[in-house]
Amino acid sequence: MNDTALPPASPDPTGKKILMIMTTGPEEPDKTYAPFFTAALMAAMEIDTTMFFMMHSPELLKKGAAEQIPLKKGGTLKHFVDMAIENGVHLLACAESMRDLCNLGVEDLIAEVKVAGAPTMADLALDADAVLSF
Amino acid sequence: MATINGCEIPEDLLYYIERNQLTWVKVEGDRITIGATDPAQARAGRILYLRVKPVGTVRERGKPIATVESGKWAGPIIAPVGGTVVEVNTEAEKDPTLLNSDPYGRGWVVRLIPTAPAQLAELLSGEAALARFREVIAREQIRCDRYHP
Repeated sequence: MNDTALPPASPDPTGKKILMIMTTGPEEPDKTYAPFFTAALMAAMEIDTTMFFMMHSPELLKKGAAEQIPLKKGGTLKHFVDMAIENGVHLLACAESMRDLCNLGVEDLIAEVKVAGAPTMADLALDADAVLSF
Repeated sequence: MATINGCEIPEDLLYYIERNQLTWVKVEGDRITIGATDPAQARAGRILYLRVKPVGTVRERGKPIATVESGKWAGPIIAPVGGTVVEVNTEAEKDPTLLNSDPYGRGWVVRLIPTAPAQLAELLSGEAALARFREVIAREQIRCDRYHP
C-alpha cells in the first residue's frame, strides 16, 4: 500500500425520501409488481423508501398471499415483495383499511410489515421528497 | 479458469459471496477493481441500468457502491471492503450490457482504494471460492449464457 492521495470526499447522494402509496390489491395483479420493483430499486439507491398500503392493497401483504398472485411475465408477486424487503423498503399497512375493508389483523400479515394510520401517512407525505401513488 | 454450469470463474480473483452478492475483486497495486461475476450477470439477466457512486465517495464495507437493474432484479452491488471510489466505469454506465457480455473485462464496475487492506484477506479465493460458487449456482439453478447485443 503506498501513499496515493485520495480524492476529496463528495457528499453521499442520499438523504432523499420517497413515499409510495399503494391502493391496488390482488384484484388487479398486473398493477401490483412494478411498485415493489421500483421501490426495491430506489432503496438500492439508498433513498429512504416507504410503501404505504391502503384500500385493498394490504391484502398483498397477507401471509401466503403474494405466492398466490401469478404474473403474466412469469413467477409470482412474492419475488418482488422479497426483493423490496431485501433492499430495505419500509412496508406500512393502513390500520383503517385493514380493519374496515380487508378484515385483516396485524397477525395476518408478513412479519416485515408495520401497521400505521392516516396521520402517519400525512406526516410521511409532508416529509418526503416525492410521493408516488399506484 | 474454472467453469461451473457454463459460468466462468477466473482463478486469479478474490470473491465476495455474501447474501445475494456474487462479486469479484482484483487487486492492482494500491487499488482494487470490483465487478459482477459471470453467475451474477446470468442470474440478473440483461442489465438495463448501472449507476455507480461518484469518484470521491467513501464507503464502508457492506454499503452499496453501485445500483443495478435488470428486467427481473434490482439491487445494490455492495462494497466488499471499505474504500474510496477513485474510478467509475462510465462506459458500462452508458452500456450496462457490458456487465453481461464481458463481466471480467470491459464490464468492470468501480475502482477503490481500500481503507483497510487487511479486509481483503476476508474475501474468498481458490477452492473455497469455487466451493461456494458451486453451492450457490446449484441452489439457484444458475446457468450462464453470455448476452451478446
